[in-house]
Amino acid sequence: MSLAQKRKSKRVDCATVCPEWGCRQPGEHEGIWVVGEVEGGAISEPSLQMLTPARMVANKLGTFVEGVLLGGDEGALRAAASEMIKRGADRATVIAGRELSEYAPPAFAGAIAALAAERRPDVILLSATMRGREIAPYVASLLRAGITADCTQFDVDEDSGDLFMIRPPFAAIMLAYIKTPTRRPQIATARPNVFPVPPRDEARDGPVEVRPASSYVRAPPGMRLLRSEALRRDEVPLEKAEYVVAGGRGVGTKEGFAALEELARTLGGVVAGSRRAVDLGLVPHERQVGQTGKSVRPKLYIAVGISGAAQHVMGIREAGTVVAINIDRDAPIFRSADYGIVADWRDVIPALIREISARRTSPGKGT
Amino acid sequence: MGLTIAVGIKWVPNQQAVRFDERTGTLIREGVTSIVNPHDLDAVELALRIRDRYGGKVVALSMSPPSAVKGLEHVIGMGVDEGVLISDRAFAGADTLATSYVISSALRRLGGFDLALFGQETIDSSTAHIPAQVAGWLGLPYLYYATEVELDGSGRKVIVKRMLEDRAEWYELDMPAVLGVAMKSQLPRPVKLSNKLRLREENPIRTWSNAELKLDQRCVGLRGSPTIVAKSTWTPEVPRRRQILEGTPEEAARKLVEALFREGVLR
Repeated sequence: MSLAQKRKSKRVDCATVCPEWGCRQPGEHEGIWVVGEVEGGAISEPSLQMLTPARMVANKLGTFVEGVLLGGDEGALRAAASEMIKRGADRATVIAGRELSEYAPPAFAGAIAALAAERRPDVILLSATMRGREIAPYVASLLRAGITADCTQFDVDEDSGDLFMIRPPFAAIMLAYIKTPTRRPQIATARPNVFPVPPRDEARDGPVEVRPASSYVRAPPGMRLLRSEALRRDEVPLEKAEYVVAGGRGVGTKEGFAALEELARTLGGVVAGSRRAVDLGLVPHERQVGQTGKSVRPKLYIAVGISGAAQHVMGIREAGTVVAINIDRDAPIFRSADYGIVADWRDVIPALIREISARRTSPGKGT
Repeated sequence: MGLTIAVGIKWVPNQQAVRFDERTGTLIREGVTSIVNPHDLDAVELALRIRDRYGGKVVALSMSPPSAVKGLEHVIGMGVDEGVLISDRAFAGADTLATSYVISSALRRLGGFDLALFGQETIDSSTAHIPAQVAGWLGLPYLYYATEVELDGSGRKVIVKRMLEDRAEWYELDMPAVLGVAMKSQLPRPVKLSNKLRLREENPIRTWSNAELKLDQRCVGLRGSPTIVAKSTWTPEVPRRRQILEGTPEEAARKLVEALFREGVLR
């Protein structure tokens, strides 16, 4: 029996399911949705990243990938839909209208749930951006469906066609394969940067269907945006940085992090921290690298005084070159590094700054 | 009259004390103490501030084994007025959907509230699911990453400030509303002895089991949880070169910089 047949023929005994939640057979559901986020008129990179696992899962299951976009500006949403199709979606649905011109979580999440109740997708994937984290669980409870946060991989259970949503549980070193065998849709999120943006294929084309927001936002959300104020940000966001210098407990103090700042400036990059550094108040939470922080994909990641707990290493899987500086030769971080220096960072960091500056002022030297 | 502010707290293993068995990849549970999820204390502090300013009461709820009564005692020590321990063997093993279902049932049983506050996420699972799921079950407006709350003139709406990475936003929400309180956004007040004394004199903690909530066994605990852990495996390692650069710190730094320029990582 093919995987598609297994998936279609799967039966759930509805007598075992919570009677208030409704019961439908998994086989009545079809397609992998990726909910796209539009920011500043364009599709966000984290949304495009979710097309990578969506495409892989759809190919295994023999089904389609559908982009779902919501908002007030139909033109921008259509453009975003066509971008999703060029990057791997087979088709897209746009819900556009005044009701969604301003972001209110219950309106956006409610519209996704209403469309899902009508179309019955098998899977809904969202990027765990700040908005995605806000919307996804509401969608799940409206649909009385299971949800798995912050997946690091996806796969398909060859025995049943269920989606494997794979993530490390509780900062652990094992990976849990989570599935929701009796309920659909299967809802999951992954943090930005865990998956790459799929390549653009100009030749790809597919239908884009536009539906009115008024049909999907049935009640006013009971809330409205009063005002918004942009925060001044001098630094490059961590997710976009090409060079990241991260400190951990071994760096220990504000003064230590000032030294990391100097190295980051020399590199043209930014400073980040481990969970411990955040707990110690040395780095703000939005600069935390790891399973409960951010995943990064810089060209160069320098881990300073970071022991290398599994939850931290999870956040640098997609980094280019990883360098570890630690005084403890047995620190696990060295197993996850390309280059290691066993020494006190107080000696290494100034030397690195000197060496890099020297090379840049006399480019021919030593090459 | 004043407001009724519900605040959810979770009793979690103290992360600082958690160790793993490197051989089996499992948690070593012996000797691990539990604490109130630190991010929930931000929600407790914000709830207390709203109460202190506008009047009313703060009720803390915790769905946990009986030992979590210590967590409720802690927040009552901070100044919370009442505690509700939601505890029943039938609730054990719940995922976030089944947990939020029980919590929202308990909130209904509370007989009306104006605000329900939760820590933005827990340190033991970090899903940030519960506030939105509870709002979903109850069909209420909700917002994440809240840092400040004020009542508007009518007393029926709240103005909530929240912080995103690149901007601050102010939303107006009809009450009742559900909020996820931003991590480290408040300075939780210390426990006061005079508050703790109330534990002996007033008995402010109730326990609700499923005898009170009367939920179908198929909707709660392990049975009500759509998600299951099918299997687990070792995390596949990303292949890295693991090359230790020997020598003095200066020598090692020079070798590293040479390699990075040679490989085009630095220019």
